[in-house]
Amino acid sequence: MRDVRRVERGEAGYPPILATIEDPPQELWVRGRVSDPPAVAIVGTRRATRYGLNLARRMGRAVAEAGWPVISGLARGVDGAAHRGCVEVGGVGVAVLGSGIDVWYPREHRELGESLVASDGGVMSEYSPGTAPEPWRFPARNRIISGLSGAVVVVEAAEKGGALITARLAAEQGREIFAVPGDVDRRTSVGTNLLIRDGAVPVLGAVDLIEALSLVLGPPPRSEEKHELELDIPGGAASVEEVVEVNGGDVASVLSTLGRMEAEGKVRMEVDQVLLA
Amino acid sequence: MFAETTSVAMVGAEPRPVRVEAHVGGAKDVFKLSGLPDTAVREAKERVRAAVASSSMSFPARWITVNLAPADLPKGGADYDLPIALGVLGAAGTIPARAVVAVGELALDGSVRTGRGALGAAIVAARLGLPCLVSDDAAAEAASVAGADVVPVRTLAEAVAVVSGDEPRSIPPRPRRHRPPAADLAEVRGHPLARRALEVAAAGGHHLFLHGPPGSGKSMLAHRLGGVIPPLSDEQALAVACVWAAGSRSREVDPVPPFRAPHHTASLAALVGGGTGTIVPGEVSLAAHGVLFLDELGEFPARTLDALRQPLEEGSVSLARRGVSVTFPANVQLVAASNPCPCGYAGDRVEACRCQPAAVERYRRRISGPLLDRFDLRVAVRRLHAEELQGAPGESTAAVAERVAAARAFQTERGSLNRDLGRAVLDELAVTPDAGNLLGRAVDRAGLTARGYDRIRRVARTLADLEATDKVGEGHVAEALALRGSW
Repeated sequence: MRDVRRVERGEAGYPPILATIEDPPQELWVRGRVSDPPAVAIVGTRRATRYGLNLARRMGRAVAEAGWPVISGLARGVDGAAHRGCVEVGGVGVAVLGSGIDVWYPREHRELGESLVASDGGVMSEYSPGTAPEPWRFPARNRIISGLSGAVVVVEAAEKGGALITARLAAEQGREIFAVPGDVDRRTSVGTNLLIRDGAVPVLGAVDLIEALSLVLGPPPRSEEKHELELDIPGGAASVEEVVEVNGGDVASVLSTLGRMEAEGKVRMEVDQVLLA
Repeated sequence: MFAETTSVAMVGAEPRPVRVEAHVGGAKDVFKLSGLPDTAVREAKERVRAAVASSSMSFPARWITVNLAPADLPKGGADYDLPIALGVLGAAGTIPARAVVAVGELALDGSVRTGRGALGAAIVAARLGLPCLVSDDAAAEAASVAGADVVPVRTLAEAVAVVSGDEPRSIPPRPRRHRPPAADLAEVRGHPLARRALEVAAAGGHHLFLHGPPGSGKSMLAHRLGGVIPPLSDEQALAVACVWAAGSRSREVDPVPPFRAPHHTASLAALVGGGTGTIVPGEVSLAAHGVLFLDELGEFPARTLDALRQPLEEGSVSLARRGVSVTFPANVQLVAASNPCPCGYAGDRVEACRCQPAAVERYRRRISGPLLDRFDLRVAVRRLHAEELQGAPGESTAAVAERVAAARAFQTERGSLNRDLGRAVLDELAVTPDAGNLLGRAVDRAGLTARGYDRIRRVARTLADLEATDKVGEGHVAEALALRGSW
C-alpha cells in the first residue's frame, strides 16, 4: 500500500496522547490521519445482539455528529457498527487493527476500513505490514484504542472478552468509562452491568451519551445546528404524538425535524410509528 | 289566441329555460301536448283541466296545443302544470298573457306544489328578469338565489290574481329549520398530529387519509374539516345548490360547504352519479366544493374506489345515457379513514393486535395504488389515554379557520388550490437552495417515487402559504416529508 507511513515514538506525527500511557507502542503504521484528541472509543462484543448493533451504530453517529472522532477496532459486532454509524454521517473515525495494517480482519470489513481513510479518518497498527491477526495480539491492541481516546463507551460485553479488557486498560489509563446497562441475565449485558457496578457511568442512549461526554470532554466540537437533528424517540420506536410529548415544542417543528431525520436516514416513518434507523 | 310562459328543465346541474307555448284555436275540444314530455308531463292535461275547474274558471273547450320548447330537451316531472295552466288561460283570453317564470304541480283542487324545479326556475327568472312563481314551501329555496323576484303562490287562483296585476304576498318566513350547532375543533383534545394534518389539508385542499384504531377519533376529526375550510363563494354556493336540485334534493344557496359521508355499501351510481331515468348526481358531486368523507375506506368495493379516481382527478364527472351527456362538478376534498388492520388495533398502545402479519399486509394493500396516491397527507390517529381525554380543550375551529383562509387567499391569487398543482407547475416551484437540497436527499435516501415527490412539493407549498412566504423553505419540505405517512 502506497500511503502507509511508519511513525516512531517521539517523531512528529506520533499521537501525543498515546505517549502518555504506560506502555506506548514503539512504532505505528498509519494510513490516513491520526485523529486530534479528544476522541471517543466505542467498543463491545463481537457477538452483539441486533439491539446492541443498532445502539452502537446510533452512538457512532451521535458521537461523530457531535464532532468527536470515533475510535474502535474494526472487529465484527459492536466495533463495526460504531464505525459504520460514524461513516454514515461523514464523521472522522480511526480503526486500530490487531493485525498488519494491510491485513483486513475480518476480510469483509475492508470496505469499511477504506471508507474511514477516505473520510478524513485513518487506520493504524503497531504491527508491521503482513502480520496475521492472532488472538493474543488483540488485548495489546486494545490499550492503543483506549490510549487514543478521552472516553471509552462499552455498548455490549460478555463477562469475559476484549471489551472488558479495553475497559480495564482504560481505567488504568485514567480514561472515563461509559457502559450501556442491560438485562441482568443477558449474556451480552453481564459485562457492561459489571462495569457499572464497578463505577462506570451508565448511558441510556445516544442523546444521553452526548450529554455525558460533554461533561467529561467539554462541549462537542461540532456546532449546535447539527444537534438540532436529534429528537428523543422513546424506546427507539414511538408514535409522532409521543415524540411530540417527550421532546416538547410545537408539532410543526417536531414534524420538520422528523422529516430531516428521515431524509438523513436516521429515522424511518412507519405506518403508525417512528423508528430509529 | 297565443300565450307564452317560461319554466325550467335541468340539464345536469344546469337550469335551462323552457318556453311553454300555448295556442287556443278551432272549436273542437282537443288538448295536444308536444315537446319531448315524459309521462308525468303528459298527464298534466288532466290535472290542469281539473285544477282550472276547481278554481271557478272555465277551461276552454277548444283545440288547444301546448308546446314545450326547445323540443330536444327532455322534460320530466309535474312542475310544468302551473305554466301550462297559465299559458292556456292566457291564450284563451281568460287572463292577461304576462311573461312569468312558473314552476309547480297542480293538485286537482287547484293548489300548487313546487317540486325540484324551484331553484332552477329562480335562476332562470333572475337571468331573464321575470317574476318567478313557486309554491310557498319552495319560496325560501328560490329566494336564496340572488336577484330573483320570487312570488309565492298557494293556489292556481292566487297565481292568476298575480298575473292579473294583484299585489303579490310577501314570502312566508321559512319555518326555522334547526341546524345543529357546527361541531367545533375545540372539542377535540390531544391529537396534535391529526390536528396539524387537518389544518394543512384544509389550507391546501389536500385529500386527507386518517388511519387508527376504532374510537380514536378519525371521524370526529373528519366532521370538523367542513368548519375549517373557507365558506363557499356566491358562485360556488349557487353551483352546489344546482347540483342538489339536479339530484331532487332541496338546498338553499348556502355558503356552508357541503359535507357528505356515504356508507361503504352505497352503490356505484349513488357515489359517482347515474341512475335510471334522469341522470342524477352522485355523492362525489353533492359534496362539490365541500368534503366527501369515506369512512372505512377499505370496505368500499374496489370497483367503486376505482370509479372515484377520474372524477377526483378532473374535478368533474361526465355521465352519458341515451345520447344525453351531462357533467356534474366533482371538485371535492376527500377525507378517508381506515382501521390499521382487520382487528383495528395494530400499533395501539393498550389493546394488542390479534391479526396475523400477512392479514395486516393484505388489509393495507386493499387501500393502495392510484387512489392512495391522491392522498397528499396520511396520518395515524391514536387512541387517547385518560389524561389526554381530560386535558385542556383544543384550539377552536374559528382560530384554525382564520389561518386557513389566509393561506387559501394566496392560492386564489395564483388561481389554483395546491391540491391541484400538476408536475409542470411544481417543477417551477420557487424553493430555497436548502429546501432543494433536502428534496434531493429525500429522493436519494427516503426512496421517494415521482408521485411521492409531487405530494411533498404540494404540501410544502401549502405549509409555505400557511406561513405567508413566497419561497418554499427547507422546514416546509421537512415537515411535508413527515406528513406524507407511509401507508
